[in-house]
Amino acid sequence: MRKTRVGALFCSCRLARIKTLSMFLAFIPPCRRSVLSWRCALGCCCMHTNMAEPMELLCWGGDWDLPSVHSDSLIVLAYAKFSGAKLAVKSIDWTWRTITASVPQLHYEGSTVTEPAQILNFLRKQRFNADYELTAKQGADTMAYIALLEEKLRPALLHTFWVDAENYVNLTRPWFTSHSPFPLNFFVPGRQASLALSRILLTKAESPLLNITEVEGKIYSEAKECLNLLSHRLGNFHFFFGDTPTSLDAFVFGHIAPLIKAPLPSGQLQKHLNQLDNLCQFCNTILKNYFTDASAEKRMDCSLTAPHDPVDANLQKLTQLVNKESNLIEKMDDNLRSSPQHRHETKPSARASERNSPLLSKH
Amino acid sequence: MSLAAEAFVSQIAAAEPWPENATLYQPLKEDQILLSDSASSLAVQTFLRMCGLPVLVSCRANAEYMSPSGKVPFIQVGNQVVSELGPIVQFTKAKGHSLSDGLDDVQRAEMKAYMELVNNMLLTAELYIQWCDDYTATEISRPRYSSPYSWPLNHILAYQKQWEVRRKMNVIGWSGKSLEQVYEDVSQCCQALSQRLGTQPYFFNKQPTELDALVFGHLFTILTTQLTNDELAEKVKSYTNLLSFCHRIEHTYFKDRGRINAA
Repeated sequence: MRKTRVGALFCSCRLARIKTLSMFLAFIPPCRRSVLSWRCALGCCCMHTNMAEPMELLCWGGDWDLPSVHSDSLIVLAYAKFSGAKLAVKSIDWTWRTITASVPQLHYEGSTVTEPAQILNFLRKQRFNADYELTAKQGADTMAYIALLEEKLRPALLHTFWVDAENYVNLTRPWFTSHSPFPLNFFVPGRQASLALSRILLTKAESPLLNITEVEGKIYSEAKECLNLLSHRLGNFHFFFGDTPTSLDAFVFGHIAPLIKAPLPSGQLQKHLNQLDNLCQFCNTILKNYFTDASAEKRMDCSLTAPHDPVDANLQKLTQLVNKESNLIEKMDDNLRSSPQHRHETKPSARASERNSPLLSKH
Repeated sequence: MSLAAEAFVSQIAAAEPWPENATLYQPLKEDQILLSDSASSLAVQTFLRMCGLPVLVSCRANAEYMSPSGKVPFIQVGNQVVSELGPIVQFTKAKGHSLSDGLDDVQRAEMKAYMELVNNMLLTAELYIQWCDDYTATEISRPRYSSPYSWPLNHILAYQKQWEVRRKMNVIGWSGKSLEQVYEDVSQCCQALSQRLGTQPYFFNKQPTELDALVFGHLFTILTTQLTNDELAEKVKSYTNLLSFCHRIEHTYFKDRGRINAA
C-alpha cells in the first residue's frame, strides 16, 4: 500500500522530478549553470510535452565512420553537439534535394538558414553558444583561423575530392552517384566537380594562365603549411581553446575529418595529415565523445582523460547523478505500473480467491 | 609557380644583395588606380620600408599586364620580377631580410591566420564594393580603370574586369550578399583586428611584421579614399586603436614624404 501511494506520488507529480534536478543546479557556479540548466530544461521539456518543435537540419548522409561526408554539414553537426542543440537530422540522400538544396540547411519555425557561418550565428541567437567562455581576443583568433582554413585548406580539399582524377573516379563519384536518385545520379557529381574546379581556378589561378596543373603545386603546399600551422597551434591540448570545444574546433573538425577517414586512392595530403598525430587524435576524440551511439552515461564515464579543472569534474559528476536520478525515476514508474500489487488494487476479489485457494488446499 | 621553380628562384635571389634601383610598379596614381590595388601597393611599400629596403615607385598604365600574376603591385629587383605581398615577403626573406624571424611557431600561425583574415574579408569587401555595387562601378571604378585607353577599348576592358570580379564573387558565395552585409563583415573584421591589437603598438608587441604592413595598407587606403559614400571609412573610424595604429606607422615610416597621397 505504501508503494502504491508512493507510486501515485511519482506518477502524478512529475514536477517533483524537475524540482530535484534544480536542487542540483544550485551547487553549480553561475557561468556553467546556464548551459546545464538549458540542457536540463530542454530535456524536461521534451520529457513533458513536445512543445518546442525541434530544429531540422538537411545534410548529406554519413559513411566511413563519419556522421556526414560533407565538410560543411559536419561543421554544423559538430557545433550542434558541442553546444547541446537538439537537431533533427535529415539526410538528403536519395531525394531530389541532392540537386535543388544547398546543403547544409537549417529549418526552424518557417525560416531557413544556409551556410555554416550563418547557421552557427543562428544557433548562437537561439542561445546554443559553445563560445560563451572565450575572451575577446580568442574570439578574434577564431575568426582569423577560420579565414585561414577557408583560404588555404579548402581549395586543396576540393581538389583532392573532386578534381584529382583517381580520387574522383574511384571514390567521390561512385559515392555520390549511389546516394542520389535516378536520374539525378548522372548530374549531381558532375555539377559538384565543375563547381569545385571553377572555385579553385577563379580564386587561386593567375588570370593569364587558367590551367589547373600550374595551380596544383601551389595549393597543396599551402594546404600542408596550413595543416602544420594548425598542428602547432593545437599543441598538446585536446581542443583549441582549453578543455571544451568551441566553434573553431567544429570548423577544423569539419574540414579534416573527411580527409582522415575517407579511403582515398591517391592522397598526398592525407599522408601528410596522418603524420600530424595531434590533429588525428583531435578528430578521433571528437568522434568518440560526441558521435558514438553509446548511452549518455557511458559517454560521461569514458570522457576526456586529460586533467580536468575540479569545477569540470564536479560538473561531470553532477550531470551523471542527474541522469541516473532521472533514469531511476523512470524505472520506478514503469515497475510500479506493471507491479502485481498495482493490479491487485484494481481486481481485489479475484486475487483474494486465488490466494485463499492454495491456503485452503494446503490444510 | 611549382615548388621546384620556387626553390630555383629563391636560390638566385639569395645570390645577390638588394640593389639600389629596385622598382615597384603600380597603375597610375591620379587617374587609374582603384581602392583594392592602392591598398595592396601601399602594403608592399610599407613592408619594404619596415625592412629598410629602398624602392622606387613607378606608375604605369599597363602595370597589371606587365605583372607575372596579373595582380599589382609587382617589384622588379635586378633581373627578377615578383608580384603580390606573399611572394615578395618570401623573396626578401631569401635575400636575408625578414621581419618575422623573432616569432615562435604559434605566433607565426596566428600571423598567417590574421593575414588571411584581412585578405578574405577586407580585400574581398573592397572588390565587392568597387565592382559589384552598380552605383560605385558606374561612377568610379569603370571610368577610372579604363581612363588610359580610348574608345572602344575602354568599355571592353572595364566590362571584362567587372565580369571577372563578379564571377569570382559568385564562386565564393559573396554575390548573394547585400551592401549592408558587406559593411557588417568589414566591421566584424575590424573588430577582430582591434581586439587582437589591444593597446600594443604593433600586432606582435614590439616589432612590426608583415601583418602590420598589410593592415596599415588596407586601413589607411580605406580612410583616405573618396568613395560614393563614407560608410566604409566610418566603420573603420569607430575603432580608435586602429586609427592610432595607422597614425603611428605613418609618422614612423612615411614622415620624409609628408602625407602619403592616396588616389
